[in-house]
Amino acid sequence: MERSFAAEVKQLALGEGQILHGEGILAITKGLLQSGVSYVGGYPGAPVSHLLDVLADANEPLLEPMGVYLDASASEAAAAALLGASINYPMRGAVTWKSIVGTNVAADALSNLASAGVIGGALVVVGDDYGAGASIIQERTHAFALKSSLCLLDPRPTLQNLARMVEEGFGISEASNLPALISLRIRAAHMRGSLVCKNNRRPAISMRDRLTRPSFDYARLCHPPSTYLQEARKFEQRLPSARRYIVEHGLNEVIPGEERGLGIIVQGGLTPTALRALAIVGAADEVGRSRIPLLVLNVVHPLVPEQVLDFLAGKERVLVLEEGMPAFIEQEIKALAYERGLGVGIHGKDTVAVQGEYVPEVVLAALARFLGGEAEHRRAAITGHLGRGREMLHASLPKRPPAFCTGCPERPVFSALKIAQRELGETHVAADIGCHAFATLPPFNMGNTILGYGMGLASASAVAPAFGKRVVSILGDGGFWHSGLTAGVANAVYNTQDSVLVILENFYTSATGQQANPSTGKNFRGDAVRMSIADTIKSLGVSWLRVVNPYKVAETLATIKEAMTTAAGGLKVIIARAECQLERQRRVKPQVAAQLTAGARVETPRFGIDPDVCTGDKSCMRLNGCPSLTLKENPDPLRDDPVAHVDQTCVGCGLCGEVAHAASLCPSFYEVRVVSNAGVWGRAMAGVRRRVIGWLQAA
Amino acid sequence: MPRDPRRPLSILIAALGGQGGGVLTEWIVGAADHAGHAVQSTSIPGVAQRTGATTYYIEIAPEPRMAGALDPVFSLYATPGDVDVIIASEWLEAGRTLEMDYASPDRTLLIASTHRLYAIGEKTVPGDGVFPATLVQEAVQKLTRRAITFDALAAARRAQSEVNALLLGALSAAGVLPLPEAAFETAIREGGVAVERNLAGFKAGRELVALGAEAVEPPARPARSWQEIKPERAAALGARGRAFLGLAARAEAEFPQHLHETLGEALARLIDYQDARYAEVLLARVRKIHAVDPDGRLTRNFARRLAVWMSYEDAIRVADLKTRRGRFERIRQENAAKEGAPVVVTDYLKPDLDEMYGLLPASIGRPIARWAERRWPHGRPTLTQAVKTTTVLGFLRVWLLGRLRFLRPRSLRSQRESALMDSWEQAVLAAAALDRDLAWEVAEMASVVKGYGEVRRRLSRALDRFLAETLAPAVEQDRAAGAGWERSARIVRERRQALLTEEQGSNS
Repeated sequence: MERSFAAEVKQLALGEGQILHGEGILAITKGLLQSGVSYVGGYPGAPVSHLLDVLADANEPLLEPMGVYLDASASEAAAAALLGASINYPMRGAVTWKSIVGTNVAADALSNLASAGVIGGALVVVGDDYGAGASIIQERTHAFALKSSLCLLDPRPTLQNLARMVEEGFGISEASNLPALISLRIRAAHMRGSLVCKNNRRPAISMRDRLTRPSFDYARLCHPPSTYLQEARKFEQRLPSARRYIVEHGLNEVIPGEERGLGIIVQGGLTPTALRALAIVGAADEVGRSRIPLLVLNVVHPLVPEQVLDFLAGKERVLVLEEGMPAFIEQEIKALAYERGLGVGIHGKDTVAVQGEYVPEVVLAALARFLGGEAEHRRAAITGHLGRGREMLHASLPKRPPAFCTGCPERPVFSALKIAQRELGETHVAADIGCHAFATLPPFNMGNTILGYGMGLASASAVAPAFGKRVVSILGDGGFWHSGLTAGVANAVYNTQDSVLVILENFYTSATGQQANPSTGKNFRGDAVRMSIADTIKSLGVSWLRVVNPYKVAETLATIKEAMTTAAGGLKVIIARAECQLERQRRVKPQVAAQLTAGARVETPRFGIDPDVCTGDKSCMRLNGCPSLTLKENPDPLRDDPVAHVDQTCVGCGLCGEVAHAASLCPSFYEVRVVSNAGVWGRAMAGVRRRVIGWLQAA
Repeated sequence: MPRDPRRPLSILIAALGGQGGGVLTEWIVGAADHAGHAVQSTSIPGVAQRTGATTYYIEIAPEPRMAGALDPVFSLYATPGDVDVIIASEWLEAGRTLEMDYASPDRTLLIASTHRLYAIGEKTVPGDGVFPATLVQEAVQKLTRRAITFDALAAARRAQSEVNALLLGALSAAGVLPLPEAAFETAIREGGVAVERNLAGFKAGRELVALGAEAVEPPARPARSWQEIKPERAAALGARGRAFLGLAARAEAEFPQHLHETLGEALARLIDYQDARYAEVLLARVRKIHAVDPDGRLTRNFARRLAVWMSYEDAIRVADLKTRRGRFERIRQENAAKEGAPVVVTDYLKPDLDEMYGLLPASIGRPIARWAERRWPHGRPTLTQAVKTTTVLGFLRVWLLGRLRFLRPRSLRSQRESALMDSWEQAVLAAAALDRDLAWEVAEMASVVKGYGEVRRRLSRALDRFLAETLAPAVEQDRAAGAGWERSARIVRERRQALLTEEQGSNS
């Protein structure tokens, strides 16, 4: 795993009144334990990957002793279905995933769950990956809450409030029988602050206090005629109960202000940005006392009409700060005001940017416009320099797109694919989600579609028969086990698709931080389980299957060329198998250090480039892109373009040499192995060699 | 806008994945905690942690917490123009914070390392695609209130520490945060990782500020005169050093002073490559150009390009460079090999058939070439080998090849190269008679001839065709139009760029 939370996890045992210091995800986890949660699970994805890491690290010391079950869910769909336990039994359960994509995958189970209703609190912590730096399609989770009648919490981000909203999330879910989503934005997930703790609560039903009899109630099955009744209950009982709970427990917050004619309604998650912008324009102080009244919505669905109308009453103009499109909250508030015939002017997307993240400059500009006068002047005072940086730098700075790590075993596969296409002509490449999607960026620029996790092969289904060459699809092991197995491989075999599938098996769900997956050999809890992609594929009836070591580029290239040109029809699968280099280094480095201290013989490989042999044409970079393969000033007084250079971070994976050979590049590359603790014989041999060579060099 | 004294102090950290930006953030948060200040931090790692640009953001209450008082409302975002301190662990990333308007000229302190980690776009364009560091420097001067900039990577190596510890030291010494030195040190100790190394770096960072790293450090390299360099070149040539000094003296007597260094370097290079007679060939060619180029600007460029061209990297040259004593010393040093520790070097070589028969005398090589080029019209077979040049047999194989210099003057390759050089020289001379700018561009055209094997042959053919088929008609058109030679010069420049870019395209 990329990050160990072993030290932080100790704080999860803190009791009443003690102070926890840590990240947002830790506060969420503490909130779960304080709520008496019975089971947890989820699928990794930023920004909640680390939440699963925390749960995995907490499993042995905390969860197991309390009887809390941790599920290493195979997908978001499996995680949502996990919450099915709360339909029939009064068990509190929480799962987590990345949204919007994870919610899409989970949608079927989530709809059924919401229709059946829950008697134990069911909570989904959705990591909302929206805005600058987000890695996925930009849509709102809010739409799911509306269509399935889920409670949607968008807590004001302080550690204290995150923990509280987890507890209240279970409360509202049980009070209304609706599952609740709690939305966590990227920055809130990684926010570091402090939290006053409560005691953890042991769940009443758990692995230690087991259920004794099944509960049968046809009304809880999503099957007609129950479904008609369930629909009626949503609107007649469940949502009204949720609204009552919101008011009775004060989940939403009103910040009073003397400016009676104006008001701001804001999603809880945007509150600090709004208060900071108000402070900058002189309408609030540093501790959040505002001249303009605010209604802070920690629960954005359902809204409580009476609460909103109370806030609107007597105001002339109200601004709704709601991130993303469509503007569900703004529309609902406008409809409410219209029905009641209120004359208040409701602004939102007409004043703030329509889509995109509500970063401070956007909110600041909107507030200055909304408030006018002094606020405009104050904003101008800090924005006078805007645009000057860009102007002074003349051109925009070179981008730094994410890329494969140093020594990554996926890079050589794309080097080989690039060389293969150079020799056989270009073809359609269906990319997928995972680290391998970095191949769509420089220097590989390879991949024609990305259509969802594990969906690459399926996305090529209609291209393959219509394309003049065999098309190639890419799949990682994470994507294979998530949905590529069924939607991809089974689908392609069933349709006798004649194409090539390259599976990158690196033994972890690496892009999100090396979480375990079925190829790893163990699950989140540490139980030994290994599932084989090769055996699984064979069992589906794929007969053309090759397993390659990706670092052997010539072999990989030959295998790709064979797959592209063989007379054999059907799906041809190449599994490029090698361990994620980050995880490997994490494992190997301490071992090497220990061997060195123990005086054992250790060879440290690294690559180098002879600067006087390199002519600076950079073809190696265009087939490689390794962070450790970089540039340095040309030492040659008569040449001026920089030369290639391998820096200290090289891990000696061997790709540089392999590519130099496979693509017939220049002879500048060499591998160096420094032998530590070589022993008497080894040192003597090396001494003799150096002497003979030295004698020749002097000749 | 000057800062509101009650509002939290804001610190934006710009780093690259793997540079320790997260640890730096934890140290600052830890220091604030220790000093009793309310503090909040956040980060956006996401996929950006895979070598991309990452940012961290911290807010610290200006006063220590007091019982009963409310904590400030902390923002999770930096607001452009409302940032007190920017810390950038790399120079381009420092520029990026300015590009994004975070710094304000009346408020922001920038602490940045001037070292560069190149972005992929800078690495893959043909020629020199490195973003000019001076542009960032100018922007830093204009757009920050105060800047502390130094090469934190070099300083970290000197202090046997890490970049982030140096930057933390600089932050502490800058005195803009209400946190004592001891609070930072406690934070480092509590971090518990490489404590002594990090404390050493922290101290070194503090000292740098005390010594006045305040001004923007120019990335300067001490200039040395040719008279200082010349003896070194002679010494490096060993027995041939005397011949070099003699030839250099002749050249210095014949050509004006501003050409001495270029010609000297060129002569040293060619004597090293072949011998003094071969170096004289260069002088003969340069002489012709200088005769029509009184101010020497064209001559200098011509001589430089010619010297690089004449020392084309044939198999002999590669073998020679790969077996030099200095090379193995450099490798041992770069890899910090301890005295006596065995070092195994494996060289990845893949000469093709052309490079082999190119070494033969033209009379023998030419018929073979004719046959081979018919037999394999799209690239000849290659000889893939990974040679351990630190073993006696491996070394011998390469070393013996490097001794074959005597074959060079009459080799097929030499004839082909010098025939193309003749055409190029003629074109430069013809252009010089018309227009100096045009001649300079034609001389510069030689820079496209580079690389190995098929790449080099493709570029050589392209140059040959260009000189014969494009340049001459363009010049004729300009002559007919009678409105100067700018159009021709532009055609040459664009073709040069295009050739280098096409070469990129051919393996993109």
